[in-house]
Amino acid sequence: MKLLNRQTEQLSSWAAYLLVGTGALLMLAPFYFMFVFATHSRTEIFSLPPPLFIGDDFLANLEILTSRMPFWRNLGWSLYVAIASTALTLLFCSMGGYAFAMFQFRFKNMLFALVMATMLLPSFMNMIPTFMIMDMLGWIDQPRALYIPGAASAFGIFLMRQSVAATIPKDLIEAARMDGCGEFSIYLRIVLPLLRPALGTLGLITFIASWNNFIGPLIVMRTPEMYTLPLALRSLQSPVNTEWGALMTGSAIATLPLVVLFVLSSRQLISGLTTGAVK
Amino acid sequence: MGQVSLQGIRKNYAEVSVIKGIDLEVQDGEFMVFVGPSGCGKSTLLRMIAGLESISGGELRIDGVRANELRPADRGAAMVFQSYALYPHMTVAENMGFALKMAGVPKQQRAAQVGRAAEVLHIVELLARYPKELSGGQRQRVAIGRAIVRKPAVFLFDEPLSNLDAALRVSMRTELSRLHKELATTMIYVTHDQVEALTLGNRIAVFNQGHIEQLGAPMDLYHRPANEFVANFIGMPNINLIDRPDSASAAHLALWEALQGSATVQRIGLRPEHLHLAGQGIPALVVLAEHLGDSSILHLQVEGVNGLLKAKVVAGQCITGQMVCIAPDASRVLRYDVDGRLMESGGNS
Ligand SMILES: Nc1ncnc2c1ncn2[C@@H]1O[C@H](COP(=O)(O)OP(=O)(O)OP(=O)(O)O)[C@@H](O)[C@H]1O
Ligand SMILES: [Mg+2]
Repeated sequence: MKLLNRQTEQLSSWAAYLLVGTGALLMLAPFYFMFVFATHSRTEIFSLPPPLFIGDDFLANLEILTSRMPFWRNLGWSLYVAIASTALTLLFCSMGGYAFAMFQFRFKNMLFALVMATMLLPSFMNMIPTFMIMDMLGWIDQPRALYIPGAASAFGIFLMRQSVAATIPKDLIEAARMDGCGEFSIYLRIVLPLLRPALGTLGLITFIASWNNFIGPLIVMRTPEMYTLPLALRSLQSPVNTEWGALMTGSAIATLPLVVLFVLSSRQLISGLTTGAVK
Repeated sequence: MGQVSLQGIRKNYAEVSVIKGIDLEVQDGEFMVFVGPSGCGKSTLLRMIAGLESISGGELRIDGVRANELRPADRGAAMVFQSYALYPHMTVAENMGFALKMAGVPKQQRAAQVGRAAEVLHIVELLARYPKELSGGQRQRVAIGRAIVRKPAVFLFDEPLSNLDAALRVSMRTELSRLHKELATTMIYVTHDQVEALTLGNRIAVFNQGHIEQLGAPMDLYHRPANEFVANFIGMPNINLIDRPDSASAAHLALWEALQGSATVQRIGLRPEHLHLAGQGIPALVVLAEHLGDSSILHLQVEGVNGLLKAKVVAGQCITGQMVCIAPDASRVLRYDVDGRLMESGGNS
């Protein structure tokens, strides 16, 4: 009876593995084919059966890619905007979240509600106002039009406020004050280091969002030299003459930074830093 | 140097008055204990001295200098928190040296000072560890070490031992006593544990609802509590407070007689150890006998007297349910008037 139980248990765990494994394969397949197609010409891609393994047209594809658009320049802008917006978001959201979590000031709850309320606005409602404001500021075709508006995101502030409240005891702040820290050095020397896991998460989310942002650059960028990658790669597609090989090459290159980033940060994201702060 | 002077210190939160005018002189090198029931405002007062809480009224002077408006770090006070509040991302050495670093002390000098403090506290081997790698008692030592390193004029402790288990609490208590002798620095120590208060303090301030009920040496407080609140608060088990008899109970009247209560006395306090068993005297029923090994606490019912009287007697003399005779030690009686204030010895005249 017991043996039977163990057998069915094993069987069901195998079934679970099978299910999860199939799911993982289904998720990974498009990525695999993206990398494979990046090394094949357009005609090879559309042959039957399609190529399943790495080919040798990568450089040819890259050449098509770079002749059709200033690819490296676009990649550069993507990196620049993603880094700038991540850095600014981390700075402003951690300061804002810390203030909302730890300080007492007038209209605090009202202000926080206001910040949260901005999350309720559907993003497409912002499109036209964003364009008008950027146009008014003369920021059209300038990268800052991409990283300044989102620098203090409501979601980021909320996330930071929650992690400050959860991971930083008030005593710690007071101890630092007794030890001679001013408000800014408390933030810099105590709050920021303790927020590292949360900052890592927010940083990753922000970087990915900026990296994949398509609508934003579509609204404010006009000249192809200023495009970020998603926008630039989109310009390869047309109803009749899409260079699929080159498009896949560009997409594959565009994915690489995210993969690297994820590998580097996954450990940081999990580690809990505050254990042992207070008993 | 470490003289703390409080003059008419008050604290209000909006409409609520939490500290109601405290006058207190803490001498240089003194171990001052603030004790009182929960919510009486002792932490608040300590935090006002530290500079973590603003002062609503009155004047705080540290070493003769008005400190009301000084930043916490400039007051020359170091605080040990109940939660220890160690910086989790710094090693023990970095934790202890942080204040010096903020004050711009060069690295070598910092290391030397941290090393010396670590020796005093026997935590040299822990210096490279992180707080999460320490036991509760070790964290406590580090927290104290962090305060020592700064060479403050005043140490402020807010219930530093309450997170430790009973055995560790006792050993840290003696340690703190030793430390105070060694450093000879002023210490202000908040606790609600009267044993800590009595054993550690040079003087004790008993707080109640935002004011000081009595200020004095531990044994003064124990033997001559100025009012019923202090009498009741200090002492374990609690003091017996016996009301003036209004019934016609013979036992109650006899007890009052034996206690030498007079016309102006409203209530009489008698420590349990001053209530003895006797061959003859006032009859009492042992409702409960708690045997503590060397002594027993008897909970006694005397006819007509409200509540139970407690007597601390040599162990093993009687059992629960027995009838005994009791006799108070009339020379140790504390007499209180209608307002609950101690009547100067003339109470029985
Ligand atoms: N921020 C605040 N706003 C309003 N009232 C407060 C505030 N902080 C403390 N109090 C009140 O002040 C009183 C004193 O608080 P305090 O923390 O000093 O008590 P305590 O004597 O240290 O008690 P415990 O032994 O429980 O720590 C309490 O009645 C508390 O409710
Ligand atoms: Mg307290």
